[in-house]
Amino acid sequence: MARRYETVYIFDPALEEPAITERLDRFHALLTKDGKGTITNLAQWGKRALSYPIKKKDTGYYVVAQFETAADLLPEYERAVKLDEGVIRFLVVVSEGLPAKPEAAPAVITADVVDEIEEDEA
Amino acid sequence: MRRPAKTCPVCESGVRVLDYKDDRTLGRFLTERGKILPSRLSGMCARHQRQLATAIKRARQLALLPYIKGYVG
Repeated sequence: MARRYETVYIFDPALEEPAITERLDRFHALLTKDGKGTITNLAQWGKRALSYPIKKKDTGYYVVAQFETAADLLPEYERAVKLDEGVIRFLVVVSEGLPAKPEAAPAVITADVVDEIEEDEA
Repeated sequence: MRRPAKTCPVCESGVRVLDYKDDRTLGRFLTERGKILPSRLSGMCARHQRQLATAIKRARQLALLPYIKGYVG
């Protein structure tokens, strides 16, 4: 049974863009394996100030991903994200009923991300 | 004494669901110390007040909103 979910990642601000993209690809490969899921939306908010320090860091790199996947793939995915040192905080929620647009905050969707999403949908 | 009926600001704005990622809207329903404003003060209907509480708690986990505002430890 596929459901719609949404994950907000907070990455270590010291990470470079390629490192973040590599991690996102790795995490999302776990969700889309065997054609059981699709990434429907990916929004990079970029660096933003944290309201309180997490792991002695005052800023974080925010990424919001919306996807559809089978529930049995989630535990493995969450474990992979949890074990990654580059992710300082993340939250996975069922996004059914939430507004579909992911960019509530200053969202910057770069051209290559848009290409990736289109490839996923194709 | 019954207090005069207020209309829910969320219903009035036509928004159906409060989004936990919209920290600017949620921030309007915090006290100056960062507590969730009671419906008595926010004027919200019960449904939206519940949504508000969940949304604020999620936003806090993501450091979009503070747990305590103005605390210098």
